[in-house]
This record gives sequence, structure tokens and C-alpha cells, in this order.
Amino acid sequence: MSIDPVATLLSLLTTFGIAAMIALSLNLEYGLGGVPNFGKALFVSIGAYTAGVTYTRLMPLLAGQEALTPCGANLGQALQVRTEIIRTLPVVGLTNFFVTLLIAAAIGGLIGYLAAYPALRLKDEWFLGLVLLASSEVVRIVVRGTEPIICAHNGLSGISQPFLWLPTPFLRTAAFTGLTLVAAALCYWFAQRLARSPYGRMLKAMRENSDVATGLGKPMARTRASVMIVGSAMAAMAGVFFVTNVGFASTNDYVVGLTLDIWVMIVLGGLGNMRGALLGAAIITLLDRVTAITAIQLDMLGSQFEFNYVRYILFALILLVMLRYRRQGLLPEPLDTTGAGKLLARRPPPSSAPGEPGKRAAA
Amino acid sequence: MTFAQLVDSLVTTVQVGSLYALMAVGLTLTMAVVKLPNFAHAELITFGAYAALVVSLFVTPNPFIAIGLAFPASALLAWLAHRTVYRPLQRQRASTYVLILSSFAVGLIIRYTLFLFADSFDLFDKRIQIPLAVLLDLGPLRITNIFAWVVPSSIVLVALLSVLLNFTSLGRQMRALADNETMARVIGLPVDRVVDLTWLLVGGMAGVAGALWGFYTFVDPLVGWLILLPVFAAAVLGGMRSFVGTIIGAYVVAFGENTIMLLLNQWFGLDFSFKPAIPFLIIILVLLIRPQGFAGLGRATEGGKA
Repeated sequence: MSIDPVATLLSLLTTFGIAAMIALSLNLEYGLGGVPNFGKALFVSIGAYTAGVTYTRLMPLLAGQEALTPCGANLGQALQVRTEIIRTLPVVGLTNFFVTLLIAAAIGGLIGYLAAYPALRLKDEWFLGLVLLASSEVVRIVVRGTEPIICAHNGLSGISQPFLWLPTPFLRTAAFTGLTLVAAALCYWFAQRLARSPYGRMLKAMRENSDVATGLGKPMARTRASVMIVGSAMAAMAGVFFVTNVGFASTNDYVVGLTLDIWVMIVLGGLGNMRGALLGAAIITLLDRVTAITAIQLDMLGSQFEFNYVRYILFALILLVMLRYRRQGLLPEPLDTTGAGKLLARRPPPSSAPGEPGKRAAA
Repeated sequence: MTFAQLVDSLVTTVQVGSLYALMAVGLTLTMAVVKLPNFAHAELITFGAYAALVVSLFVTPNPFIAIGLAFPASALLAWLAHRTVYRPLQRQRASTYVLILSSFAVGLIIRYTLFLFADSFDLFDKRIQIPLAVLLDLGPLRITNIFAWVVPSSIVLVALLSVLLNFTSLGRQMRALADNETMARVIGLPVDRVVDLTWLLVGGMAGVAGALWGFYTFVDPLVGWLILLPVFAAAVLGGMRSFVGTIIGAYVVAFGENTIMLLLNQWFGLDFSFKPAIPFLIIILVLLIRPQGFAGLGRATEGGKA
């Protein structure tokens, strides 16, 4: 099998950009805020389901046509109409794409807010993780059994990239890759700004000890809700890129495995470090592609060995090794760079200041 | 809905509920004694199922031996995971999230190693061979030999575990550890030994449950993962610490998945593809509304404990 290097590179970059967006959002939620989102796949899937609805209902309206019934008998015809609109009317396709992003962000944010609410009532902190994990599966099962969203278990094809009107396949892919990378860069810039702001320090306070932070008058419930809103909106927008990259919306893509991949990325890269999220996303995307190509090559050589399974074992081993030997990740969380942080870092350790007032005799 | 369907769903409830109970008490025990929400519990179940399958295919068709060997197989696996992964992490005082992630990783490693194994020997979707026979046929009520295998074995095992917890020294030590680890250490309890034995016991029971599940349905590397969340739902209903509550929870989950699902289907036309959502909804609702589950029902003091 020959591999087209340019196409492979573009596709890798697109996948990396999407993974980076999701990893950044989880790094905001868990890395900074300590909110254990084991339901990441749910928020990514919101983007996909939103696209499923807008591509069949909104886009034809924008093009001055009737809304489509995408499933059942006129499945093929509906697919043709969708593709035709994107191919011939660039403005409609692009408008639809960006409106989809906005709607996905709004719905994602709303569901993130709703998901943060239970944390107030939960007895043990990790229960929130279990509730989110269960919710992500419930939503998946409900969508899989409900026709109008993405044709139930059949899935919906023709969720195309908005650049089908460009003349050559290379230009189409390159334009979409560019757009994805720009979006990822914006997410990175935003997350980095957030991490270094007073709000970011409040998130870290929530992660370290939310009781103390509450004692200092910080609104923990509101902080948890807001970080879930931001993270979920980001993940839902990444979901729109995800589904348009695949071109096909299926509930089978948004399983617990996706959530775990994202967790591996941020644990590997570095919890609380936004560059770490990018690094983790890059390494995992690359490894994913390398294992997939190896599996195909082995298969073509006539090997009976199913290399795809090795990928999961490899990722799990990475996770275990990182958790055991380097929990701070490849790129550890940077020290706080505010004036206060520098002052604290410069202060001599207590042992070298024997006459310090307030030091207890017992210590 | 015919009467026969209803009776049939109740029979399935008892059968599946017994197996869920066997799996869920192990999970509850890990959470109470070892303080670890073990998502790799699923793979202990799968491993037991495969151990029994391999024995019954290649060694002897005798189901007693197949089930009997599933116990040490999964027990050793659980102990190995404890020694190589969980104990070092717990000694580093890792947070619960780190432990959960590591248990996911352990589960993935076991699951996909089993995939590789099943792929090499063509052991997908295999059933542990015992000839199906109808023991009792009273019109709508049909009791098969699988039912006669699964239900009594599960009940006996759960009862044995209950005796062990309540009337033996090891059981008292395990309960002491579950109640207050610091105090258990202070009074000189051999904590490491108790935890080791807990893992062997939990793993073994999961293995037997997996083997029995293999009689009832197909054996596949995903089999444990697919029933993990119903089992978690049962443990959640038991408040993740109550033994009796977990057993009741297991039957409640099975009842919801079978009988309630059937009723919803008949009355509201709800498709059977929604069935897996029922245990998930139980998890969400219980954790939100009554996180202590059935634990401490009728006792006034339970609510005060942290």
C-alpha cells in the first residue's frame, strides 16, 4: 500500500487539532478545576448530533429549499441535496457550519451547566464521574433509538466539510485542516488566558481544597458550573469538527473509549498544563495513526495477528506508567506566574527561619 | 402482553438478578474494604468466563470443574492487579480519580489481551457447552437446567460470603477495615493480609459469576464490560457498602431491565433497544436522590455517618 504523504499529514493535523480541542477542554475541567468528567464523549457527541440536525433542517432552509426528512425512503435523495448545496453554494455551507458551531456550543454549555448541578448533592466526589459516565451512555442509547436526530442506529452520512465547493480534493482538505488548526489555536489561547487569570487560580483552589476556597469566600458551586459550561461548549464545538471530519454521524463513535483516549492525552501531556494537553494530543494522535497503519500493513502481508487490539493495550500501559511514575505528566503544571506566586516561590523555607513568629514549638 | 411473557421475564429477573448479586457483592466489597471503585471488575468476570470456556472446550466438559477453576483463575488475576498496580498507587496516596483511571487501564489491558487470545484461537461468541434441558414445564413457567445451575450456585456463594463476613475472624477483620482503616491499623490488624485475601475472594467470585454467565449467554471479550454498569447500579443501590442492600439492588436492576422494560414496551411502545439505559438511569437517580441507596433503611443512625 502506498501512502500519500501530503494527504496523511493533512489528515493527521486535522485529527490532532480536534483531539487538542477536546483535550484542552478536559484539562480546563479536570487539570485545573478537578472536575472528574468521565462523560467527555457525551459533550463531543452533542456537536455531532447538532450537526445532524442543522445539516438536514437548517441548511436546506438557508438555501431556500424545504427541510429534509433524512431517514427512511428518501435517504439517498436527502444525501444528494445536502452534498449539492455545499458544493454549489459556498456561503450557505459555511454559514451553516458556523451556525452549527454556535448552536453546539450553546447546547453543550447548557448541558454542562446541568451536569455540574448534581455535584452539589453528591456525597462522594467521584460519584460525579460515575454520574457523567452513566449520562453519556444514556444519551447515546436514547439517540440511538430515536429516529429524527441522526437516523437512530443507522447513523447519518453526508455531514460534509464546508469546503466541498473548492476545485481540487487537496484544496478542500487543506482548507478544512487550516480551519481546524485555527480553531484549536483559539482554544489554546483561550485556555491559556483562563489558566493564568484570577479565575484560573480560583479553579486551582477548587481542585486543591474546595472547602478552604469556600471559606475564603469563593463561590465553588458557581465556579464548578462555569468551568463545566466552558469545557462542555468547547468539547461540543470540537464535536462539530469531529463529525464533519469523519463525514458520518454515528452513536458508535461516542463511547467510553473516546473519553478514555482524551484522559490518556491529558495524563500523558500534563494535568493543568495547556501545552501538555497539546503534546498529549499530538503523541496519542500519532500513535493512533501509526498503530492503525501497522495493522493494515500486517493485514496486507497476510498476518493473522490483529494489531488493532495492541493499540488499546499500549494506551492503557501509557496511562498506567504515567500514573505510577510521572503523575505530573511530560510537561508539569507551571508555577503560578503572578506576583504573589513569585513571592511565595522566593520565600525561604520555614526550617531556615528559626525565629519566625507564629511558628509552633511542636513543629 | 401474554401472561407467559410476564412469567418469562420474572424468571429471567431471578436468573440475571442472582448473577448480578454475585458480581455486585464483590464490587461492593472492593469499594468498602479496599476503597477502590474497580472498573476492571468487568474484566475479572470476563476472565472467569474464558477460563471456564477453555476448560470446558479443551479439558473436560464437566461444568463443576469449569466453574471451580474459574475461581482461582480470576482470584489470581485480581491479586496480581492489586500487587502490581493498585497497591503501589495506594501507597503513594493516589486520589480516587487516579485509582479509577488505573482500574480502567487494567481493564483495557485484560480485555484486549483476551481479544488477542480469542482471535488466535477463534473463541469469539462461544457458549460453554452444556446441553440445554427443560427441567420443569408448567405451561408459562419453564425452568431450564441453566436456571437450576445459575440460581442456586449464586445464592449459595453469596450466602457463604455472608457467613464468612459475619461469623469468621477474617470477616470481622474485613468489616473493621471497611469501617475505619486507621483504627484497624492501630489495633494491629494485618491490613496487607486482609486486603490480599479480599482481592482473592472478590476476584474468585467475579470469576465464578463470569463462568455462570457463560452458561447463560455467549462468552466474548466484551461480556464483562457490557454488564459492568448494571452491576455498578446494583452496588450503587446498596449504597456501595451494604451487603444486603447490594443483593436487593441486583434483583431490582434485573427486574427493571426485564419486567419493567417489558411493561414499558407493551404499554408505551418503548423499543427494547432502550433496555441498557435502565441501569444507567438507576445509577443517576440513586446517586442524586438517595446516595446511600438501600443501606441503613429503617436505621436512624446511618445518615449521620460521613
